[in-house]
Amino acid sequence: MSANPRPPVIDPANRTRLAWTRTAVAFAALGGAMLKLSPVAGLVVLVLSLPIWAVTSRRHGLGAAAASPRRLRLVTATVVVVAFAALLVAIFGHSPDSLGQLLRGR
Amino acid sequence: MTRAGDGHESPHDRRSDDPGPADTGPADTGPLDDRRPAASAPDAEPAETEPDPRFTLANERTFLAWSRTALALVAAGLGIVQLLPPFPGVPAGRHVVGVPLIVLGAVMAVAAYVDMMRNQRALRRNQPLPRSVLPRLLAATIGGVATVAAVVVLLSATS
Repeated sequence: MSANPRPPVIDPANRTRLAWTRTAVAFAALGGAMLKLSPVAGLVVLVLSLPIWAVTSRRHGLGAAAASPRRLRLVTATVVVVAFAALLVAIFGHSPDSLGQLLRGR
Repeated sequence: MTRAGDGHESPHDRRSDDPGPADTGPADTGPLDDRRPAASAPDAEPAETEPDPRFTLANERTFLAWSRTALALVAAGLGIVQLLPPFPGVPAGRHVVGVPLIVLGAVMAVAAYVDMMRNQRALRRNQPLPRSVLPRLLAATIGGVATVAAVVVLLSATS
């Protein structure tokens, strides 16, 4: 009656898949925001979010329990590249004097 | 009852508060000798076994959470530089506050990967998890940036 039809080990796998999804969404959101400030850098970040999403969509159940170190390195490298692009935008990019000017597309 | 694989509880319950030379070993050790168990030879490299998948998944989720934190720092730094109005009297104020956050985001992403691999190695060797430097790094940098931001705001207000 009270038995759980699912083995308890499924939940961690699903949670991990959701974590990958959140990470991919975070990349895409940052890319979209950067697109407004610097189209090239934003496009790069958006493109980089695709491999993260691919990792998410390939993981199903416990059979793919542990992501390979190569995929984790991909995430790390992507964050570093995004940070570098953000640094370039912050230092050399278009910097409006106010949020209103930014929204008006100065 | 501990919910193994809940994200943090089970692996971190085993974290050592005082890592000492013996606990820092996993990051510095060389190739393994799987033919000998660790208990029979204290000086030998400990044997590695694949840990419970729930621990591996929890470790992976922790890594992803730190990666998202790093992304948030990058976004915050970029937002400060690009979206805030300039501080009167402090022309470089936005960059002084925002650029360190972006740099911290990059450093944190690399540190999260290193931390994750060290934790995974400790799990494989059934050893206590090494102490992570990430929370202190994050707290120290945010505290520093907040202090700098307060100084910039005060300088701007007095000018």
